[in-house]
Amino acid sequence: MSAVTYDQLRVLYRTLLVFATVGVVILAIGLVEFAYFEPLGQSSGTRAHIAGVYEYNPSTQQTVGPDRSEFSRTEVFAAVIDWSSLPSNLIVDARWYDSFGSVEGHVGPGRAADLAQQSIVPVEVPEGHRFVLPGRYTFVVERLKDDVPVEVLGRRFVVVDRS
Amino acid sequence: MIATTTPPAADPRSTLRPGRYRIALALAALVIVLLVASSILNYLYLDSIPGRASLYGLLAVALIALGTFILVRAFDRDRATRRKHLIRASVLIGLGALLWLLVIDVFLFTQSAGPAVAAICALWCLPTTAFGLFVVRRMDRNHKEPWRLVLVAAAWGAIVATSLVIWGETLWESSAQHALVPGPGLDTSLAFMAGILEELAKGLAVLLLFLVMRNEFDDVVDGIVYGAAVGLGFNFLESISYMTNLYSIFSVEGYGWIAAGIQWYGRQVLGLFFGHATYTAFIGAGVGIARQLKSRRQQALAIVAGFIIAIAGHFSWDAWATIFPIQSTVFGLVEIHLRTLVMTGPFTAAVLALLLFGIRYEGQNLLDQMRKEAATGYGAILPEEVPILASPWQRLRQRMQALSRQGVRGYLRVSRLQTAQLDLAMERWHRERKEIDDPLEAEQQLRNRVMHIRHWVAA
Repeated sequence: MSAVTYDQLRVLYRTLLVFATVGVVILAIGLVEFAYFEPLGQSSGTRAHIAGVYEYNPSTQQTVGPDRSEFSRTEVFAAVIDWSSLPSNLIVDARWYDSFGSVEGHVGPGRAADLAQQSIVPVEVPEGHRFVLPGRYTFVVERLKDDVPVEVLGRRFVVVDRS
Repeated sequence: MIATTTPPAADPRSTLRPGRYRIALALAALVIVLLVASSILNYLYLDSIPGRASLYGLLAVALIALGTFILVRAFDRDRATRRKHLIRASVLIGLGALLWLLVIDVFLFTQSAGPAVAAICALWCLPTTAFGLFVVRRMDRNHKEPWRLVLVAAAWGAIVATSLVIWGETLWESSAQHALVPGPGLDTSLAFMAGILEELAKGLAVLLLFLVMRNEFDDVVDGIVYGAAVGLGFNFLESISYMTNLYSIFSVEGYGWIAAGIQWYGRQVLGLFFGHATYTAFIGAGVGIARQLKSRRQQALAIVAGFIIAIAGHFSWDAWATIFPIQSTVFGLVEIHLRTLVMTGPFTAAVLALLLFGIRYEGQNLLDQMRKEAATGYGAILPEEVPILASPWQRLRQRMQALSRQGVRGYLRVSRLQTAQLDLAMERWHRERKEIDDPLEAEQQLRNRVMHIRHWVAA
């Protein structure tokens, strides 16, 4: 084996290591990003009381029926929060996320005391659609710090059937 | 006269029953144990469709794994027993594939879009994936890999790797959704999940292929080919899954096929090479480079490096692709293409650089070995054949000449002769570098094979 071809293998090996170094940098940036949005030590111990998720009548803007975790896609639904279960000066919001991670309805952000009149948070039908999209919906009550959600104080999952 | 009864191996340290088979068996056993554990956990705690699929899919995975092992080993056996093993492997893989399709259709797609939609989506993806595999195999200009192994790699990517991912990702996603704040933090976690789990699952196929079929895994070029084939197989099933899912979501709104078509274009046209194929090709490159390195430390580092780049590339797409602005105007169509080019293009360019350098490195060494073989005077490679064998275009020209003179049979005969001669040069290269287990007699057998085919061609 000539020295030239040995060097070629070494060049391949070192090139791979250089690429891997770039890969490590990318992954490190990812970890920093994760740490920024999920900072450690943010647990306040506070829990929001979510009374339930109910079918919602948009015309009366009231919920009907029992607490459910499964809906058909022709139904509109809403979560009901007891804002009084939270410290009044806590900056919070409440959001619905669909299975694509898009926000489909929200209340806040604001002080918990100021949101007392908005205890019903309906899910919104996406623009241009007749019904809500099927899939798993997540409802969260979040605590905010510097306008960034840092802690989930309450969470509910709801499944919207495809049929 | 050689007085030993055991044929001498090229590498005096290696034994004729390589320890890498034991490593392969250990890895396979580990995978099965992990699959069993995670699927039972899924079934017990998630009680969802993926949970059921995981439990029923286990048997499919075991059948495919066993069938693959028997298939790749069948070609190392003599002709008398090979047929028996090939039939055994085909039956097992066929059963596994059937069972898997059943699981996918009945438990995943039927409830959403129905088996007919799943079948149509599969038919859409088949030609593009086949084209991808054809191109990937053609990239190895000097010494093409056998179709059976390229297809085995793609099947592993499509069936086994996706199975591993379903269970791992279900657990990770469920845990993250219960623990993290929805938004960028959760998205980053899910991007790590896709990068780590999917690349590990795909990379395992490349690694097992290398451990079991090292004789067909020559260098960095082969690694890239097998890696990309695994990626294309994975992309095939993932495309079907996304297309079917989106169809079922948007069909009620009246544009289910449009949503599925957009997915098809994004994954099977735009992302055919700029995606899973690129990422897993890096794993293959790492394994291929490790194949030729001497030091254990460097071998391990090369394999780990391949995995790191693959995971990083996959992660960056999943985590940051949404940062790239896509307007809902006609210009958005241009932006979608630009996004892929900007986000994945550098990774594809990097793997292409490794490939081109590897082809050059391989070509120079094969030329060197062909010259040396011609100089021995055995007649397996004649001096005037060396420049033809060294050039893919000249080889093609020679085959086309045979086609015009003797028809398809002539073309195939010359093709076999060229392949056998390149096999001999490759064997010589590995022997010179002491990176081969086969005894010296294997080289003489290859030489005899070339001579046999040469007589056949002349006749």
